[in-house]
Amino acid sequence: MLRLGNPRRRINIALMAMAVVLSLFAGRLVQLQGLNSKTFQAKAADQRVTPEVLPAKRGSITDVNGNELAVTADAREIYLDPKEVKETQRELIATTLSAELGKPKEGIAAKLAQVDKRYMVVARDVDPLVARKIMGMGFRGVGSKPTYRRLYPGGTLAGGLVGFVGDDGFGLEGLEQAYNKTLAGQDGQQSIEIGRGGERIPMTRSTRVAPVPGRDLRLTIDRYIQWAAYEAIAKQVKAVGARSGSVIVMDVKTGQILAMANAPEVDLRNWQATSAEDRGNKAAAEVFEPGSTNKVITAAAALEAGVVAPSTIFTVPDNIQCADKVLRDAHPHPTEQMTFAQILEESSNVGTIMAGTKITDQRLHNMFTAFGFGAKSGGSIPSEEAGLLPDWQDWSGSQRCTIMYGQGISVTALQMASVYQTIANGGVRLTPTIVAGTTDEKGHLVPAAPPKQTRVISELTARQLASMLEKAVAGADGTGGAAAIEGYRVAGKTGTAMRYDQKCGGYCGYTATFVGFTPAEAPRLMALAVIQDPKKDHYGGTIAAPVFQEVMTFALKTKKIPPTGSTSLLR
Amino acid sequence: MSTPITRFRRRSLASRAIGTDAAVWRMDGLLFVAVAALSTISTLLVWSSTRTWTAVEPTGMLKKHLLILCIGAVLCGLVSMVDHRRLRAYAPVAYAAGLALLALVVTPVGSTVNGSHSWIMLGGGFAMQPSELAKPALILLLAMLLSEPAEGTDRPRPLDVALSLVAAGLTMGLVMLQPDLGTTMVLTVITGSVLVFSGIRKRWIALVVVVAVVAAALVWILGLLQPYQVARFTAFMNPASDPRGFGYNATQSLIAIGSGEIYGKGLFEGGQTTGRFVPEQHTDFIFTVAGEEFGFLGALTVVVLLGVVLVRGITIARQCDDRFGALVAASIVCWFAFQTFINVGMTIGIMPITGLPLPFVSYGGTATLANMISVGMLQAIHSGRRT
Repeated sequence: MLRLGNPRRRINIALMAMAVVLSLFAGRLVQLQGLNSKTFQAKAADQRVTPEVLPAKRGSITDVNGNELAVTADAREIYLDPKEVKETQRELIATTLSAELGKPKEGIAAKLAQVDKRYMVVARDVDPLVARKIMGMGFRGVGSKPTYRRLYPGGTLAGGLVGFVGDDGFGLEGLEQAYNKTLAGQDGQQSIEIGRGGERIPMTRSTRVAPVPGRDLRLTIDRYIQWAAYEAIAKQVKAVGARSGSVIVMDVKTGQILAMANAPEVDLRNWQATSAEDRGNKAAAEVFEPGSTNKVITAAAALEAGVVAPSTIFTVPDNIQCADKVLRDAHPHPTEQMTFAQILEESSNVGTIMAGTKITDQRLHNMFTAFGFGAKSGGSIPSEEAGLLPDWQDWSGSQRCTIMYGQGISVTALQMASVYQTIANGGVRLTPTIVAGTTDEKGHLVPAAPPKQTRVISELTARQLASMLEKAVAGADGTGGAAAIEGYRVAGKTGTAMRYDQKCGGYCGYTATFVGFTPAEAPRLMALAVIQDPKKDHYGGTIAAPVFQEVMTFALKTKKIPPTGSTSLLR
Repeated sequence: MSTPITRFRRRSLASRAIGTDAAVWRMDGLLFVAVAALSTISTLLVWSSTRTWTAVEPTGMLKKHLLILCIGAVLCGLVSMVDHRRLRAYAPVAYAAGLALLALVVTPVGSTVNGSHSWIMLGGGFAMQPSELAKPALILLLAMLLSEPAEGTDRPRPLDVALSLVAAGLTMGLVMLQPDLGTTMVLTVITGSVLVFSGIRKRWIALVVVVAVVAAALVWILGLLQPYQVARFTAFMNPASDPRGFGYNATQSLIAIGSGEIYGKGLFEGGQTTGRFVPEQHTDFIFTVAGEEFGFLGALTVVVLLGVVLVRGITIARQCDDRFGALVAASIVCWFAFQTFINVGMTIGIMPITGLPLPFVSYGGTATLANMISVGMLQAIHSGRRT
């Protein structure tokens, strides 16, 4: 063996140096991957992990038979990553997306020009097929993300009642707003990881909280009756040049609302096109002075107090002094002898005041309250108003008289409908219901709680009122003759009220109403039609009663309620 | 056991490869295992760091890497069968060939890839980097020159030392023209190691060191360094100063390694790797893939395996009974050691960023072949020793 001597020692020194350096490396690795690893983990997560919301699928809204009024479908969001888009492709991308998505080209070009941005939404609510076509073109920097879109197959069908959602999927009006929490469900979340180039890193271990889908809402609305109601009121509102109108149809025995239509009605497929004031559910939201339909409550209070009977005879002039005012009947007439039933049949304001003054203001007020005035119905009907029922102690001199025939008091169409449901149901008020049930987490329908039952008037009083109301339709001098339906007995009341209009700061125009129920002898359905500010004609008996007649005729057929003989037999 | 050189000439290749007294039975098993293990790990790391490049062919780089490894293994095997003493005869040829290829790079034949003009395109998607082959070539020549001691001494002749410096200078000069600071540094280390182990006097060593330091200082002062090289050094001193530039590499490297923790995220599971946050991750920064996906245990394994290669190399140098073999072995070890220290050191933030691959782990065709040829030489020296 050669004697290397000096070189051999140098090799040993090199060996030791290497051992030292490698040990140093091991120590450094302990520091990086052991002691300080949490810091680096956090830094890594910070630049890589991005939380992503997994949208929950919104529940659908259906009519009583499961026909969809609002439904959520899969959609795609098309977005841009302007930084990734090749400059030479900008023009082509803007042109293509504009054509495919129906968005202005300038807007897309402007988004593409913001090259420092990484995420610009071009369109939400994109049909998955369209999105697939766009993605198939393979443009760099154009992306598609699954999302949902809300569809309203019915368009204007129950538009104001159903309501709509905004761009963010949050309910803005109607049931969509009132039941937003139920319908929306719970969004999920997942952490996705984004690489340096902005591309998504496929990871097997990303944390994911699954979204909880929203519950479906089944309404008591019957699609066909709803449609008939809408058609009838829309046609009449147009025909008489009215500001608006509403129709409510209710099942007398259950308090379930079968139709709640407004005209104009918002088209849910394009709600932005409807002016803000017409997007809501006027049948429950609009407050107006009811006029003569209110007289049944005065009559109920008088009958319940036992101060009058339907046959009680009054001597009725065509005007009466009440406090500082002279109040008149709608049409001048000589002083006549009238039964209390006739007063209601002919809708005499003076006669009603004569009967009403027989009871105290407090008693009258209590009757209004018992029928649900001055408070919301309690049935969680969207955008409902409480109306205005002044406390009896605050009634001005003549107000106590005008309230008896429905002026100086404000109600909603729903409140008035509830009054006639109560009378039709033998004096028992049922909380109006719009939601039949919601689905549980398994998708089974859970029926809504049964409505609250409140006895408002005695069965006798209710029967007496029904009989009087039947005469108002069928009687020779009845104001509601236009509401008569061949083969059925109809009970109902017209209302023609002066309409308070904030725009003119006083009474300008009228509110025409007809509200009633059928069959009068064993009521099943009630309906109300109200027309606000008609320009041609304004009597409830001539413009609202025909709407009632049309809608009720259709509803009776749809609900297969057999004819029991015309009211005309009584004539 | 002693084998006369003449016998090799008469025997067939097959007999030499697997005969009872063939080199393969006398090779260094530990070195073989370590290199094989490193190559296996390297394959996984290259795969993991390149599979996200294209969705079309995620295994494209993997296949190229495997092909190179196979070629490298064959070359390694062939070289290891040669009696290392005969390598001496090839030394001038190897050196001349290396120099010629380096000169070719400077001509229009050379190509620029990733800002470094050090490539010769071969076609078919393959390219070569002559500066890698220049490393073993220079080792052979310097060892040949300096292994012949002066009459009656253990030290090389002054003329040979001077010749060595000229030969090294030529090679380094051509590499500097590219310019490739990292390889120049490796060549400096190689030259230095052969000189030191050849047994030259301490004062000569001191002189060489002084000259090297003065030269480095001159390079710095005269502004011969490219601006990016200065920036890399500044970024090393303070990574936060430039987190999106050169400091970015340093920072991302630490994040990737640190977030691997003890056991790592698992193969293909490293978010930093898959997200391609670390640049040049299949080459210069491949150690970060090991750090993130295989954790502390994996990174330590790589370090230990490299340590095994170095220790076996040193042992082979010490056990070699001729000066040429010992010098070649020791110098190869110093080369590997230097690149390992610089590369691992830079990824764990204790060395400045320098574009040097990690031996046996980084992706790189010419470098892998040069490494494998060098391991073959180590094996040849090992099996050729007279014990």
